[in-house]
Amino acid sequence: MAQIELAEIEKIFRVGDQTITAVSATSLAIEKGDFVSIVGHSGSGKTTLLSMIGGIISPTSGKVLFEGNDIFSLNDDALSSYRNLKVGFMFQFASLLPVLTAQENLLLPGLFGPAGRAADWKKAAELLDTVGLGEKIHAYPSQLSGGQQRRVAIARALMNDPELILADEPTGDLDEETENEIMDLLRSYNRENNSTFVFITHNRDLASHAKRQLMMHHGSIREQ
Amino acid sequence: MPSTFTLQSLALRNLKRKPLRTLVLITSIGLLVSAFVFVLSFVRRVDSAVRTASDRLGADVIVVPSGSRGAAEDILLENRVKSFYMDKSLIDRVRQIKGVDALTSQTYLVSITGQCCDVPETVVVAFNQDTDFIIKPWLQKAIGRPLHKGEAIVGSESSLNISLGLTEVDSHLFGNMFKMVGVLEKTGSGLDTAIFIDESNIDDILRKGKTSLKKDQISIIFVKVKKGVDPSKVAGDIGDSIVEVNAVARKDIGRNILGTLKELNRIFFVTVVLASILSIFLVWAVFSAITNERAWEIGIMRAVGAREVHVSRLFLFEVISIGVAGSIVGVACGTAVAVMLAKNFMLLKKVSTDLALVERAVIALISLLAGTGICVAGALFPIRRLKKMEPLLAIRKD
Ligand SMILES: Nc1ncnc2c1ncn2[C@@H]1O[C@H](COP(=O)(O)OP(=O)(O)OP(=O)(O)O)[C@@H](O)[C@H]1O
Ligand SMILES: [Mg+2]
Repeated sequence: MAQIELAEIEKIFRVGDQTITAVSATSLAIEKGDFVSIVGHSGSGKTTLLSMIGGIISPTSGKVLFEGNDIFSLNDDALSSYRNLKVGFMFQFASLLPVLTAQENLLLPGLFGPAGRAADWKKAAELLDTVGLGEKIHAYPSQLSGGQQRRVAIARALMNDPELILADEPTGDLDEETENEIMDLLRSYNRENNSTFVFITHNRDLASHAKRQLMMHHGSIREQ
Repeated sequence: MPSTFTLQSLALRNLKRKPLRTLVLITSIGLLVSAFVFVLSFVRRVDSAVRTASDRLGADVIVVPSGSRGAAEDILLENRVKSFYMDKSLIDRVRQIKGVDALTSQTYLVSITGQCCDVPETVVVAFNQDTDFIIKPWLQKAIGRPLHKGEAIVGSESSLNISLGLTEVDSHLFGNMFKMVGVLEKTGSGLDTAIFIDESNIDDILRKGKTSLKKDQISIIFVKVKKGVDPSKVAGDIGDSIVEVNAVARKDIGRNILGTLKELNRIFFVTVVLASILSIFLVWAVFSAITNERAWEIGIMRAVGAREVHVSRLFLFEVISIGVAGSIVGVACGTAVAVMLAKNFMLLKKVSTDLALVERAVIALISLLAGTGICVAGALFPIRRLKKMEPLLAIRKD
C-alpha cells in the first residue's frame, strides 16, 4: 500500500456565481520515502493539491488516503493529530506567529501535541542552528529577514519528526547557496528517516534532482 | 530557558499587541459591571431597608385615619414629615375588635420651621408611656428610665441631633422648652429622625396654639394581636367595622413604597438588560474584527495541529481576561458609586441601612460573573466561525 493515495480528488472554489476548478479529478500514489517534486505555472493548483494532502483543505470530491485511511473522514481531533504528528508543512507564505520568538514558533506544534505543552526547547534550538539561525533563536519574526523567516518555518516543520514533509516553494526567497544547504538538509532528513518529501518549486534544476518529478497543468497532474 | 510559553501566555501576548483596543474593551465592561453593582446594591438596599423598618416596628397592625395610610408609611419608613389626626375615642373602639391583645397610640406633631430658635422641621412624636411598647425598648437602652414631662429624646439621625451634635441642649418645640435627655440607638426606621416626648406635654403645646392639633386627637394606634391570630385578619376586621380608620398588617406596611421601588427596579432592570445586550454586540463586533485579523494565524496553528478546542481555549483566555479585568474595575467603581450616591440619593438616604459585607461580596460576585459571561457570550460566535474554518482558507483570508 502506498503511503499516500489520492483517489479522483477534485477541488472547486466558488466565488460568487463563478466556479474555479483548482484541481480536477486527480489520482496519484506516493510511496513512503519518496522524494517528489512538483512544478507548474502559477495558478495551476499546486498549493491546493499539497494542502489537500496535508489535510488543511478538504477536496470537493474524491479521497485522500494516508496509510489507507481517508483523512477527511476523520473527526477534528484525529485530523488535527494527523497534521500535528504525521505531516510537516512548509508554507509558501509567511507562517510565523508574530508574538512568538523563532524558538517559540518551533515549539508551537508541541502545544497541540500529545504532551500538550512546549517541551523540547533544546531540540528547537538545535534545529534552528541547523538551518543557520543559531544566533537568532530569541528573535521575533519582525526582526528576521524574509529568508530567515522561511528557514524558521522549515525548521518548525521538522520539529515533530514528521513522516511526510510537504513543502510549498521552501527555498523561494533564499539565495542559491542557502537554497543548496537547505535542500541538502531536507534530502539527508529524507534519507535518514525514510520520510516522504513532496515539494513544489519553480526551479527546474531543483526539480530535476528529485527521484520523481510531477508537473501540474490547469489542475491536472502528470508524470515527467 | 524561558518556560512561560503556553496557550495562556500566547493569549496575554495577543492582548498586549493592541493595548488600546484591550483597554477600551476593559473599560466598557467595567462601566457595565459598575452599573450592575450599583443597581443590585440599590435594589438590595431598598428592599432590606423597608423590610427592617417594618420588622422592627414592634406592632402587628397599625391603625391610622382613613386615607392616611400613605402618610403613615412615609413617616414610619421614610422619615418624611407629615401629620394626620383622628379622635382619641377610636382607641376604645379598636380595643373591642376580636384578636386585639394590646394597643398604644402616638400623636405626630410637625414642628414649624423658619422661626427663630425652633429646631429644624421634624416630626415630634408624643407617645403614651403607660401603654407604649414601640419606643420603650429603645428608650430603655438609651436612658434606662421613662421620659419626664418637659424632656425629649431624639432619634439617632434626627436633624437636630446632627446639627447640634449634642444631646443635652435645650430646644424650643412649639413654643415650649424641652430638655434633650438622650439619643435613641439607630433603628433603621422612621423613628431615627423623630423627636420623642411624653403625651402629657400635649396640653401645654395646645395652649400655645402653634400646631394644627386639636384636643383629644391622636395620629396612630399600634396594635399587638393575640398569639396565633392572623394580623391581616385583625387589620381587616378593624377596617371593616370602623370606617374612620385604615388598618394595615405589618407585612403590608411599606407595600406602597415597595411598589414604587419595584417600578424603579424594573426601569433599572430594563436599562441594565439593554446595556448588557449592547455590550454583547460590542464584544461581538470587536472579536469579529480580531478573529478576522488573526484568521491566518489561526489557520497556521490549525495547520500545525491545533484542534478546534485549542482555538476556543486561546480566545476564551483572551476574552475571559478582558471580562475579569473589566469586572474587577467595574466592581470597584460600582461599589464606590453606590456608596457615594447612597449619601446623596434622597430615597436611599431616607431608608438607608448599610449593606452587609456579605451582601456586597455576593453582589460583587454576581456582577463579576455577569461581566465575564457577557464577554464570553459576545465572543462565542466569532470564535466558533473561525475555528470551523478550513486552515488553508483561514490562512488565505485577507
Ligand atoms: N480560496 C480560493 N478561492 C477561490 N479561488 C481560489 C482559492 N484558492 C485558490 N484559488 C484558485 O485556485 C487556483 C489554484 O490555486 P493554487 O494556489 O493552488 O495555485 P498554485 O499552483 O499554488 O500557484 P502559485 O504557483 O502562484 O502559488 C488558482 O486559480 C486560484 O486563483
Ligand atoms: Mg502556490
